Amino acid sequence: MRSFVPIAIVVAALAVVPLLVHSNVVLNFLVVALMIALAGQGWNILGGYGGQYSFGHAIFFGTGAYVTAILQVKFGVNAWLAFGTGIAAGAVVGVVVGWLAFRAGLRGSYFALVTLAFAEVLRILASVTPITGAGVGTLLKLDLRFAALQFESRAVFYWLILALVAVALIVTYAVERSRFGAWLTAVRENEDAARALGVDAVAVKLGAMVISGAITAAAGCFYSQYFLFVDSHIAYGAWISVEALLTPIIGGAGTIFGPLVGALVVKALGEGALLVTGQAPGLDLVVFGIVLIAVVGLAPRGLVGLRAQLAARWRRARAGEASRG
Amino acid sequence: MSNEKIPLSRRQFIASTALGAAAAATGTIAMPSVLRAAGTPIKIGVLQPVTGPLSYSGTQGQLGAMLAIEEINAAGGIKALGGAHLDPVTGDAQSTPAGGTAEVEKMNAAGVSCIVGGYASGICLATTQAAARYDLPYVVDVGVADNIMTRGLKNTFRFGPGFGVIANAAIDNLIAINDGAGKPAKTVMIVHEDSLFGAGLAKLLNAKLPEKGFQVLETIAHPTPTRDFNTIVLKIKAQNPDLVIPANYYNEYVLLARTMQQQHVKPKGIYSVLGGAASSYKFVKEFPEAANGIMDCNHWFNPLSDKAQALKKKVEAKGQFFTYEVYLNYASIGLVADALERAASADRAKLTEALASSTWAGHIMPYGPTKFVDGQNQGAAPCGTQVQGNDIKVILPAKFADAKPKFPFT
Repeated sequence: MRSFVPIAIVVAALAVVPLLVHSNVVLNFLVVALMIALAGQGWNILGGYGGQYSFGHAIFFGTGAYVTAILQVKFGVNAWLAFGTGIAAGAVVGVVVGWLAFRAGLRGSYFALVTLAFAEVLRILASVTPITGAGVGTLLKLDLRFAALQFESRAVFYWLILALVAVALIVTYAVERSRFGAWLTAVRENEDAARALGVDAVAVKLGAMVISGAITAAAGCFYSQYFLFVDSHIAYGAWISVEALLTPIIGGAGTIFGPLVGALVVKALGEGALLVTGQAPGLDLVVFGIVLIAVVGLAPRGLVGLRAQLAARWRRARAGEASRG
Repeated sequence: MSNEKIPLSRRQFIASTALGAAAAATGTIAMPSVLRAAGTPIKIGVLQPVTGPLSYSGTQGQLGAMLAIEEINAAGGIKALGGAHLDPVTGDAQSTPAGGTAEVEKMNAAGVSCIVGGYASGICLATTQAAARYDLPYVVDVGVADNIMTRGLKNTFRFGPGFGVIANAAIDNLIAINDGAGKPAKTVMIVHEDSLFGAGLAKLLNAKLPEKGFQVLETIAHPTPTRDFNTIVLKIKAQNPDLVIPANYYNEYVLLARTMQQQHVKPKGIYSVLGGAASSYKFVKEFPEAANGIMDCNHWFNPLSDKAQALKKKVEAKGQFFTYEVYLNYASIGLVADALERAASADRAKLTEALASSTWAGHIMPYGPTKFVDGQNQGAAPCGTQVQGNDIKVILPAKFADAKPKFPFT
C-alpha cells in the first residue's frame, strides 16, 4: 500500500451501505463484523506486525467494555468521555501487561500463555469484584440519545464502528510506513538480530502493545454501548481472544486489510452456513468449521495473501513453460 | 421507536380484502378485526440458545414452546382470529447476547407478533432491549435476573418469578422446614459458583441467614467448570455443618453431591436455591442415592394439575426429561395465546396491552393470580421440592404440595 487511497475507497464503499440497505438484520450483521474486525485490527499490530502472538486480547476488549460501562453507571460520567477513557484504559493495561511480560523476556508461546493467564485472572476478578457488578454484570440504561452515545438507528452505530475501523486502518498504515513499523517488523523477523542492530526491542514491543490495546479496547467500548450489558464472560471470555486472533490470521496477519477481510468473511461464512443448513441447530457450525479449514489450508498467508500466492504460482508456471519451451 | 407494521403478502392482502368485502355485503362488518385476520397464521418468535454451552437448556425450552404451539393449533388455533394458527419462527441465540440480538433482528424482519424465550439472563437483557426498538412484545421464559424487569421496557414480560422472589421464598421455606422439624439445623456452609446467580445468592444468604438464627460457617466459591470437589468436600467434612447449601450449575452440582456421597459426608440436609441438579429428573434417575433427600427452591410445575401431568407424560414419551425449561416455555406460549385471544389481533401494540392486562388462569404453573406490574407477573412463585423415593415431590407451598418435607434426612 503506497497511499491512503485504498483505505479511503474501502471505507467510502462501506459507508454507503446503510444508504442502500435498510435491513436491520444486515446492518446488525455488519456492525458485529466490524466490531470483531476492530478487535482483530488491534491484535494485528502486535501479532501480525510485531510477531507477538497474544491468546488473551480479551484483556483489552474487557477493560474497554468495563471502563465504559462502569464510568457511566457508577460514576455518572458522560458516555462519550467514558468511551474515550475506555480506549485510554486499554492502552494503560497494554503498558502494564507488556512491561511485565517483555521485561521478563517472555517470547513466543510463553508470551501467548501469559496473555491467556492475564485474561483469565481478570475474568475471575471481574466475576467477584463489586465494582464490575460481580457475577451479575453491569447493565447500561437504555437511553437513545446522542449525548448517551446510543442511537435509535442501527445505521448510526454502523457509521460509528466504521469510523473506528477507519481510524484503526489509518493507524495500521501509519505504523507500516513508519520507522517504528520497520523496527517492529525487524523484531518479528529476528529479535536478536534487531537488537544487534540497535533496536530497543522491549520499547518497540511495548509501543505495539499500547496501540494494540487501545484499538482492541475501542471494540470493547463499542460492545458496551451497542449491547448495553457486560459481564465477566463477555468481557474477558475466551471467545473474543479467539475472534481477535482468528480474523487477522484468516484475513492476512501483518497486512492492513487482513482483519477487516477476515472478519467479514468469517462472519459471512457463519451466516451463509446458517442459511444453507436451515433450522438444524449446530450444523451451521460444522459447515463453518469445514469451510474454515479449507480456507486456511488453501491460503496459509490469509485471504489478502492469497492473491500474491496465486500470482506467484502463475508466474512459476509461466517460467516453467518458458524454460521447457 | 419505529412502528413497523407486520408485513402482509399480496396474496394475504387480496384474501383478506375479499373476505372483508364479502363480510360487508353480508352485513357482518361488526367484526372486522376477526375477518381481516381470519386464517392468517400468527408468527411467534421462539428464541433459544440451541447451540453453545446452553444448548441443552435451549433445546428443552424450544421443545416446550413447540409443544404448546402444536397443542394450540390442534385445538383450533386462536379462535378470536378465526382459528388462526401460531406459526413458530425459531432462532438460535448461540448462547450469547450478540447471537440473540441478531435473531431478534431477523424475527422482526420476518414479522413476528411476539417473541418468547432467551433463557439466560445475559441473553434476555440484550434481546428484550433489541425487541423494544420495534415495540415488539417479548416474554422472557426463564432469565431470573431482577434487572431484566426493572428497566422500564414496556414490551418485556416475565410470567415466571425473578431472582429476588425466589431467594426470599427459599429463605422463608428453609425456616419453615427447620422450624417444623424443631430447629435441628443451626450451622450452614454455602458452596457456590462464582458468576451470575451463585455469587449473588451467596451474598444474599450471608446477609439474611444470620438474621434468622443460622450461623454461616464458611462460604466457598468455585469457578464453572470445576471437575474436582474433593478439597471442597474435605472442608465440609472438617466443619461438619448441619446444612450444605450449593448454588451451582448441573454438572458441578452432581459432582458435589456425588463426592459428598463418596466421602460419606452426610449433613442433616442439602438445601439449594435454583439448584442446578436438585430438581432434575435426570439427576434423580442417574444418581438416585446421591440425589435422595435433597431439597430445593426452584421453578416447578403444579403437580396437582392434570394438564401438567399430561404434558409431563408427553415429554417423557419423547424420551426427554420434564425440565423447567420445558414447562416455563410451554406456559409462556400459553400466556401469549391467551393474550392473542383477548386482543383479537396480532398487532404488536394490542398484544402488548393484552399481555399487560392478563389475568390468565388455568395454566400448569403453581402460581397465584396472574397480574403484571411493570411486566413482572406478581403471582409467580417458586416451589420447595425434595427428592423422595426416586421422585421429586413438592413440599411447599402447602397449597400445591404432594408430599411432606423429610428433615432432618439423616
